[in-house]
Amino acid sequence: MRTKIITALVVASGALLAWNLHTILYNVPDEASQGGIFRLIYFHLPAALTSFAGFFVAMFSALAYLAKRDLRFDAAAAAINEVAFTFAFITLVTGSIWGRIIWGVWWAWDPRLTSYFICLLMYSGYFMMRRAVDEPHRRATLSAVLSILASVDIVIVWKSIEWFRTQHPGPVLEIRGGGGMAPGMEAPIFWNVLAFLLLEIALILIRMRQQTIQSEIESLRRYAHAF
Amino acid sequence: MDRNFEYMFYGFTAAWLVVMIYVIMIALRERRLRAELDRVKRMVEDQERETKK
Amino acid sequence: MNFLRGALAVAAKDLRSEIRSKESVNASLSFALVILVLFSFAFDPTSDTVREIAGGLLWLVFAFAGTLILNRSFARELVNDCLDALLASPVSGAQLYFGKVVANFVILLAVELLSMPVFGIFYNVHWTQYIGQLLLVMVLATWGLTVIGTLFSAMTVNLRLRELMLPTLVYPMMIPALMGAIQLSSKLVAGEAPGADDQIWFRLLVAFDVIFTSLALALVETVLVG
Repeated sequence: MRTKIITALVVASGALLAWNLHTILYNVPDEASQGGIFRLIYFHLPAALTSFAGFFVAMFSALAYLAKRDLRFDAAAAAINEVAFTFAFITLVTGSIWGRIIWGVWWAWDPRLTSYFICLLMYSGYFMMRRAVDEPHRRATLSAVLSILASVDIVIVWKSIEWFRTQHPGPVLEIRGGGGMAPGMEAPIFWNVLAFLLLEIALILIRMRQQTIQSEIESLRRYAHAF
Repeated sequence: MDRNFEYMFYGFTAAWLVVMIYVIMIALRERRLRAELDRVKRMVEDQERETKK
Repeated sequence: MNFLRGALAVAAKDLRSEIRSKESVNASLSFALVILVLFSFAFDPTSDTVREIAGGLLWLVFAFAGTLILNRSFARELVNDCLDALLASPVSGAQLYFGKVVANFVILLAVELLSMPVFGIFYNVHWTQYIGQLLLVMVLATWGLTVIGTLFSAMTVNLRLRELMLPTLVYPMMIPALMGAIQLSSKLVAGEAPGADDQIWFRLLVAFDVIFTSLALALVETVLVG
């Protein structure tokens, strides 16, 4: 049953992405000043939104673990964070390539990029810490506390870097896609967001199943050593 | 404008590569986990048989 | 008041042990001085532009030196199962944590105050011009650093690779406090009074301290006891 759900999600996501790719490449007109490169937004923005959604949901899963002490919440939180981290990485890579063309630099220290990167740093610390703890409940507790601290800190970091950068304006300005997009150009973004979300959920389910297998292995080992 | 299209393809490729690499990592981990599960299960069965003797 | 009494008892214990052995202060102070020297190779201390950023450099030094103190904080209790004894004592986890925060705060502030004259000499800055405000910034920022750092020290105390994990986890968390401190210190050390735009950094420091102190006190029992 589970495998069927996962397969269905992956197929749906793949189909959406393929159909969308066709729309993106052929039916959407070129943007006035940027030419072809702006089409990266159809990957950059959905990846960013997917990763935010992931981190956000994972924080609630972590809180649920602290409330109920059910290890499945911790498994869910870890799986969600991992997949969200991958999508965040995609966001930074596509953003960097876009920046290379538009701004001329691979990286700029503007508020969004900087705080997003710090977010990635915090979550890589999260994964490193999970590796360093063997006992499942201890690992779950520490991960949950770290998720909560990271989520609160991310908001503060974002705000403070925004203030910092408005005082020292960088060489680069934000590209505001909001008001300037023709109607035909916006739709593929939402379709891609849906496709990415489906893909994210599929990957999360796969990871969670792997974590169940992992804990089964660990408990079997403990049983074996009890002889 | 041509250069922009070139970089657009780099961007698309990069995004897809990251997803592909991640999926491959997951698949490899799945294979490793299944093999280890089988191994541990066999180890437990052997031990149970030993103690029954 | 019981809370404070228990917490201050823990703080007194840590401070007494520190005054007698002087391990953390010595290590931290030497480390701070070494980094100041290293920075002098990277940045020309006599140039005017460096004098403008000197306040910022200072906080990098304090953050690095502070990690040494914070690492020791809970690690020193691992010997002879002292940590288990403390957790089993009538002092609650939150009191234990808060006491250690106070102790670390005092030690780190001492290291900072001892490094300031040396910094003034090496980098030729008249840091005493706005000493009142500078001290306020140091107190607020140091409190923020120690609150976060001590919490993470408690979290990482039983981990393998503790010395690696603590800095990796803690520095991203400290960024807002460091940013506020750097902004204000750069101006104060260079001899300018903070203007109206700089009030936001004071507010950031206070908000950071309040938010993370309450969050840490709420979470620390979970971290220590499980």
